[in-house]
Amino acid sequence: MVTRRDISCAISSPPVLSGNGEALVTLACKTAAGLDETGMIRAAQAGDQQAFERLVHAYDQAVLRLALNLVRSPEDASDIYQETFLRVYRSLPAFRFDCNFQTWLYRIVTNLCFDYLRKRKVRREEPNVVATADGPLDRLDAMAEARPYGDPQRQLLTGQLSRRIRDVLASLTPRERMVFELRHYQGMRLRAIGEVLGTTEEAAKNCLFRATQKMRAALGDFV
Amino acid sequence: MNCEEARRQLPLLLYKELSFDEEESLEQHLAGCEACRAEFQRAIYLQRAVDDAGVELNSTLLADCRRRLRESTTLSSSGAARAAWQPPVPALFAMPAYLFKLVACAALIALGFFAARYVPGAQDAYGSLGSAPAPSRVRYVDPAGSGKVQIVIEETRERTLSGDIGNDSIRRLLLAAAVNSADPGVRVESMDILKARVASLDVRQTLIQALQHDPDPGVRLKALEVLRAAAGDDDTRRAVAGVLLADRNEGVRTQAIDLLVQKREPAMVGFFQELIRKEENNYVRMRCQKALHEMNASVEMF
Repeated sequence: MVTRRDISCAISSPPVLSGNGEALVTLACKTAAGLDETGMIRAAQAGDQQAFERLVHAYDQAVLRLALNLVRSPEDASDIYQETFLRVYRSLPAFRFDCNFQTWLYRIVTNLCFDYLRKRKVRREEPNVVATADGPLDRLDAMAEARPYGDPQRQLLTGQLSRRIRDVLASLTPRERMVFELRHYQGMRLRAIGEVLGTTEEAAKNCLFRATQKMRAALGDFV
Repeated sequence: MNCEEARRQLPLLLYKELSFDEEESLEQHLAGCEACRAEFQRAIYLQRAVDDAGVELNSTLLADCRRRLRESTTLSSSGAARAAWQPPVPALFAMPAYLFKLVACAALIALGFFAARYVPGAQDAYGSLGSAPAPSRVRYVDPAGSGKVQIVIEETRERTLSGDIGNDSIRRLLLAAAVNSADPGVRVESMDILKARVASLDVRQTLIQALQHDPDPGVRLKALEVLRAAAGDDDTRRAVAGVLLADRNEGVRTQAIDLLVQKREPAMVGFFQELIRKEENNYVRMRCQKALHEMNASVEMF
């Protein structure tokens, strides 16, 4: 019997529709602020699939956002997401809590993104604008961008500036770009970024400085 | 501090990466240097612009990624990769017989020792919990007079419910998840499952609520996609027409047009003609024009 109180509980993972038409709903009845991360990791290490999913859901939005911002292609970002969490899934039994789980996870995803960015430098750069039956379409415009609306002039300026910023970001070296993404969009501290990238806080600071300088130089007309 | 040093530290000030002393010194310099203050203002503007240039997370993409991952890990857990999850028990049985007996004896002694030590007191220590609490947050600690301590902990309990979508409880949970879940991926997945019940009024009302109020455009697009099966319903059409006029996302507005043209009503002609006049986005305007052509109607109002 499910009571009204249960409905106010958070549904902790996406409901699943089984082959026989049954829906499987997992509830985390909230008498607490959240399950302890160490507990989730240990449960996942012991083979608890639901614990693994909850662990994924705790971080996957940040991972996908990082990949999207870096590779600018939903398909490639999706591949990086899959590869990241499959590696986590396979390697989790060997995780010994020597470092923070988030640092470990970010090492995996940043390495995958680095590989991608380096390969893309070698391959032809994928164009953001593609031809469609309805005319040219910027692939990034097809993605949701819930940003300032209302004033058409401001919209236009913001649109132009956003495009310029994306171009400048694409022109940064993979390391500069990664440090910038992790600091600006992921909100990580430079010390943590250093740990993720296997470098010092000072080196991460220098990368961030170079990235902001390049942006400042390239966006001089706007700012 | 000179201007060159100050400018080098401006981004670090914005990212709050300076030490107290460095920040103090930079602020003193900024107070006395107009050029660096202007540069600082530009840095603030640039930072906001970079915020706006970030890609919003697409909840449909997130839901797809999760679905693919679940499929891959489910396959792995039932196949070869599953071996990686097994505790190394078989290794125990591979050791020589005498060593195995020795290990088994030691294990039994240890078990007896810990059982004698902990079992009698277990009920006292954990009260009605029945088992040791998992690491949780301690909310309240009360030292009782008798030397005992009362601790109130927070814990999350997970329940898995399984049932047909026609089951009232399951359906209520899915409806609640479609609009209340904090996770956009869960909202999208819930709607996907509710697709089979879009003929029900409560399902349609929930989808309309999500379409009108969900902050995530990907979720609103999913609500529209599911509502397409109810394109002939008057309430749904009214709600979608409202969304077409008010939604800030071009993708949502385009999909709203696609839904509305599924049922060609003469009343829609005036609506689309009016919309063409007001719509700012070229692509949405083109879709309106296309819809009017398909309805053999003029683009202009006379």
